[in-house]
Amino acid sequence: MSRLSGAVRRLGPLGWVGLALIGVAVAVAVAGPLLAPFSGTERVGPPFQRPNSVNWLGTDDVGRDLWSQLLLGARPSVVVGFSVAIIAITIGATVGAYAAVSGRRTDAALMRSADVVLTLPFLPVVVIAAAFLGPGMGVRVLVISLLTWAGTARIVRVSVLSAMQRPHVEVALAAGASRRWLLARHSSFIVGPLLVPLFVRAAAAAIVLDASLNFLGLGDPTQPSWGTMLYWANVRGAFLTDAWQWWAMPPGLALLMVTAGLALVGIAVEEQINPALAATR
Amino acid sequence: MTPGSDSLPAPAPAGAGRQRRGLRGLAVQYLIVLAVILTLNFLLPRALPGGPLGALGGEDVGELTAEQRAQILAEYGLDQPIGVQFATYLRDLARGDLGTSFINGASVRSLIAEALPWTLLLVGTALVCTALIGLVLGAWAGSRRARGGGTPVVVGVLVLDAMPSFWLGMMLIVVFAVNLGWFPTFGAQPIGTDATGLAAIPGILHHLSLPALTLVLVGLGQIVLVVRSSMVSVLGSDYLEHARARGFSERRLLFGHALRNAALPVYTILLIELGFLVGGALVVETVFAYPGLGRLTFSAVQSQDYPVMQGTFLVLSLSVLLANLVADLTYPLIDPRVRTGAGAT
Repeated sequence: MSRLSGAVRRLGPLGWVGLALIGVAVAVAVAGPLLAPFSGTERVGPPFQRPNSVNWLGTDDVGRDLWSQLLLGARPSVVVGFSVAIIAITIGATVGAYAAVSGRRTDAALMRSADVVLTLPFLPVVVIAAAFLGPGMGVRVLVISLLTWAGTARIVRVSVLSAMQRPHVEVALAAGASRRWLLARHSSFIVGPLLVPLFVRAAAAAIVLDASLNFLGLGDPTQPSWGTMLYWANVRGAFLTDAWQWWAMPPGLALLMVTAGLALVGIAVEEQINPALAATR
Repeated sequence: MTPGSDSLPAPAPAGAGRQRRGLRGLAVQYLIVLAVILTLNFLLPRALPGGPLGALGGEDVGELTAEQRAQILAEYGLDQPIGVQFATYLRDLARGDLGTSFINGASVRSLIAEALPWTLLLVGTALVCTALIGLVLGAWAGSRRARGGGTPVVVGVLVLDAMPSFWLGMMLIVVFAVNLGWFPTFGAQPIGTDATGLAAIPGILHHLSLPALTLVLVGLGQIVLVVRSSMVSVLGSDYLEHARARGFSERRLLFGHALRNAALPVYTILLIELGFLVGGALVVETVFAYPGLGRLTFSAVQSQDYPVMQGTFLVLSLSVLLANLVADLTYPLIDPRVRTGAGAT
């Protein structure tokens, strides 16, 4: 893991900016209900209000407080993004590593299923699944994870394969060590450095995908989220009036902040740990 | 990327890395995906909490008597065993029958046929523009990186990439359509226009600009990064050093050699990007009320018009599938290394 901590130390300005952005998002996600003055789902004033001392970002078309929605919206995005990333990486890394150390048939079978998943068109599948299976967060997390693991699997497999070809590993193999045993002993060293880039990639993709689902109206109507804010902004034509400034811009900026933060951290760490990822980018 | 890293293979689509499997393996993979898509499309309405009746819309399902329920089920063939239903579904598909819309009774096929050309226009334009701009920007950033520059482009492109496309679209509308008034805010053609044929083109282009711009800006990131990294690796490679030593001018090196090799992965990225563009168009069309497949899907989702939803899902998925297939089939033609198996993972 020393390679990983070394890379973190050399994060560079871009990486730190990214980390700060993510930190803010996580902090708001955790503290949201404490910080938000209202619930975001109940009517607290006249609709279409401009920002004022009570409603810092004004109110939406029903009269719900937009600032509260913004704060509370951090949680679903962060939770979905991180959950998907964790699930997808767990499945993907396991499948990829296992495929790399198994015989040709197992490897081929596993990789072929990954290819099938990769060939599926993401957004349409997610949309249709969400349309039919309902708006719950669990459904969204599940569906997005089931689509995201495949990319991770391929990357991890390539990485493990190339690690297996290193001289000291070849020596161990020649001495009779089984590949699976080698993997078990060295997996953290091989896969560890990949974790951060894989995680940020998966999380960023998941957050945008989830926001898109909410934007299309497939999200949970009882839970404020950034995508849902934009859904209503779109449906009520908020961007055709002044209201875009306080209704449409903040949630978009929030989403941008989180995904850009993740991307920056990914780039900063990737620069250090290069080869396997650069090959598959 | 360090010099001499030309031993790293360029990014390839899902199929190219396993060229040893040959066409047969590829065909199997795509058939499996097709089967998954068709099955999803078939099963999902039947997975609704209200059962397939919920997907039929119309009556308040809970109020139907058992008799009426049985009648409706029989009418739609839903009382048949699932195998028979699936066979009927496939047969209807083969005949091109995609059902009728709940909302206006129009045939789903005609709705899609009307919307598809607009989506194709939007996606096609965006693709071409993304490719051209991406190549130029990426090549520029790549040639600068050797001297330690080009970072602003990368950061800028990354920010664009991270932006949710629907939000970017909204912001573009606000700035260019509402405030500056340079572009219209919705639709594909000016309202109430009679223009047809060539006369309609300016209006169409005008309405096309902002949606296409949104798609281009969001998709630019990937292309620029890929071109840049492949540019860097080519510029640092041995044969280029050799050419440089032989006295070729920098410009000739850049355009004659580097760009051509850097363009290699762009081709596949483009075709794969087509898949994402189709999905992205879904969202962008919704924002701009552009009458393409995406918008059709959105309004179908809103009004719970399941036949239309299934129809558009099918068409969208099949187009992405087709694009990926074309990418996989044509990549070996372009990259000789893949053909001979050299440098593959």
